[in-house]
Amino acid sequence: MSIKDNIQPLVELFDVRKCFGQTVALGGVNLSVARGEVVCVIGPSGCGKSTMLRTINWLEVPDSGKVVLDGQPIGIRIGQNGKVSPQASKDLNKTRSRMGMVFQQFNLWPHLSVLDNITRAQEIVLRIRKEDAKEIAYRLLKQVGLSDKTDALPDQLSGGQQQRVAIARALAMDPILMLMDEPTSALDPELVGDVLSVLQQLAEDGMTMIIVTHELGFAAKFADRILFMDRGLIVEDGPPQQLLQNPETDRLKFFLKQLGDMNLNIPGVM
Amino acid sequence: MDLDFQIILDWWPLILNGFKLTLVIVVGAILLGIPLGGLLAFGRQSRFKIISISATAFIELFRNTPFMIQVFLLFYVLPFYGIRIPANIVGIIGLALFGSVYYAEIIRAGIDAIPRGQLESARSIGMSHWQSMTNIVLPQTMRIILPPIGNQTLSLVKESSILSTITVQELTMSALIVQGQTFRPFEIFIVITLLYWGLNELIATGLRIYERRLERRSLSDPASA
Amino acid sequence: MKFNFSYTIDALPRLLEGALITIEIAAIGFILSLTIGTLITVFRTVSQSRLLNAILAVYISFIRGTPLLIQIFLVYYALPAIDFLPGPGELRIDLGPVTAGIVAITLNSIAFVTEILRGGLAAIHKGQYEAAWALGLRNYPLWRKVVLPQLFMKTIPPLVSEFTQVLKATPLLAMITVVEMMRVSQQIFSANYHPVEVLSGAFVLYFLICFVVSRSSILLERRFAVRSF
Repeated sequence: MSIKDNIQPLVELFDVRKCFGQTVALGGVNLSVARGEVVCVIGPSGCGKSTMLRTINWLEVPDSGKVVLDGQPIGIRIGQNGKVSPQASKDLNKTRSRMGMVFQQFNLWPHLSVLDNITRAQEIVLRIRKEDAKEIAYRLLKQVGLSDKTDALPDQLSGGQQQRVAIARALAMDPILMLMDEPTSALDPELVGDVLSVLQQLAEDGMTMIIVTHELGFAAKFADRILFMDRGLIVEDGPPQQLLQNPETDRLKFFLKQLGDMNLNIPGVM
Repeated sequence: MDLDFQIILDWWPLILNGFKLTLVIVVGAILLGIPLGGLLAFGRQSRFKIISISATAFIELFRNTPFMIQVFLLFYVLPFYGIRIPANIVGIIGLALFGSVYYAEIIRAGIDAIPRGQLESARSIGMSHWQSMTNIVLPQTMRIILPPIGNQTLSLVKESSILSTITVQELTMSALIVQGQTFRPFEIFIVITLLYWGLNELIATGLRIYERRLERRSLSDPASA
Repeated sequence: MKFNFSYTIDALPRLLEGALITIEIAAIGFILSLTIGTLITVFRTVSQSRLLNAILAVYISFIRGTPLLIQIFLVYYALPAIDFLPGPGELRIDLGPVTAGIVAITLNSIAFVTEILRGGLAAIHKGQYEAAWALGLRNYPLWRKVVLPQLFMKTIPPLVSEFTQVLKATPLLAMITVVEMMRVSQQIFSANYHPVEVLSGAFVLYFLICFVVSRSSILLERRFAVRSF
């Protein structure tokens, strides 16, 4: 693995906390992700991994703590006198357009064709001309292997195809960061591979990615780091070999054992 | 008992005009009422207390009072403030106001039916709330609220008969005129009844066809889980 | 022109009398409709008669497809025009305004009540019938002790809503000279030329009546309804 550029982290979380009613979703999360890093987040249900991911693009608003993208705080604005206030919508929207998000349920827009799904945000948010947006869309569809589906409607595609379109849609905004919330969890097993190949290609091309996933095989091969979260905190953080082969904490050991009992093929483990 | 349907033929032009006016009024009420309903729906959700309370008050006032008194009040209130408009227009406005509160609920339900993920994916890609609503959420809403809107239209057709009480010469009024002129209530009311019933069945059938088409489309959706 | 509140106040006593008539008519109509509707529902379920269901379907389509005002006119104006005895001698049904009004409103409401009850019946778990049957309950006791109580508990909200509809239907009877609150308002303002003040008073009264009734639905539910699975 090559040495990644580490001058200024791309994404930083400082003591991010979030409660939903009485439940503590995030209990003080600290994280630093460098440019070009591929970080996979694993953990049991309810550990807060999705919530953490969603605070990065402010879909969830933390109760306290700071999220910083490329040196700029997200969601808040720090005034002259140091006073903290909510960020203006315009700025938040702009920041969000620099991050791409891929959802477990794909969330393609069903009333628009595949092509329109990819071009619409380019036209509206980035003010790119329709012709240029289409060019970008064609290129990306080729990249994810769906050139023949430009005029199809989302409900005519398989789950794996929809997710690849969703990835293309996010990439069309030329993001500096990709956030993926369990991108393959809703897919039938035979469709998972196609999506993972696309993610693999992105990783090899140097995209900074934070992926919440259950696919430990993928994480073992392509992640620079794996985060293990449990009950709202990052419990372990390190390279795949270290985390998966020599888990330090009992919780991670237990988690891996549970997955092992379910007979998953994790290279390097079991 | 002797029946004389000749009078129907004699008075047919009047009956037809009444029928046409009923259609015009209902269409006008829909065109006015749906945007108004949209405003009410969004008004109710407004962050500004004064807007949300006004919207809720408006809705409660119009839901808990008979349509007849709404139009009577409207009919007499407008000249009270010096506004003189023809009864037909008052009728359209009254029917639109009446319908708007039901449209508001339909629109609200339609928007809520759109999965949150749709809005989230639009916001996370950088669209503003307004852009997300107009490009992503509302187009989907329009498609699914058509059946309930259609049902509400049927309701408006029936309520429109009440406009005869404020001198609007729609279908019910024509029946009353013919009865007054011919002293033969039976024939005319049977015909008017059939006209209303026929119109109702026409619209209802159209709705059923549309709903069936909608169902067929979503059944072909492999990813709908 | 200025709104002169004193006209509203002056009209209030007579309006309240009219309100009483309004509530009486609505109550009578609704109770009749609920009773007859329940009987029809029980009978159609027990007999499973295709003919009865067909007739009901046409009836409901008619009631729901035509304006209530027209239905009222049919009962008050058109019905007396029918001579049920061909040849010499006459048999007519000539109803006075109040009777005609109640008949029309009741017939109208029955269509909606039967649909409400039918929906509620379908929602009652089939196991209820089977358990009762296994315990030896048949027919009348089955219905009275097991089915109907559950049915009414389930259908309180739509039934209260239907009662509100009946209340809102009463002003139409002013068109056939019934002296309920709407007609009273007309009588008052055609004498004092202040329709806005008088109608506003009636408007508020109608609102209070309907609002209280619809809110009571929640109270009734709490008192009578059992949350089932």
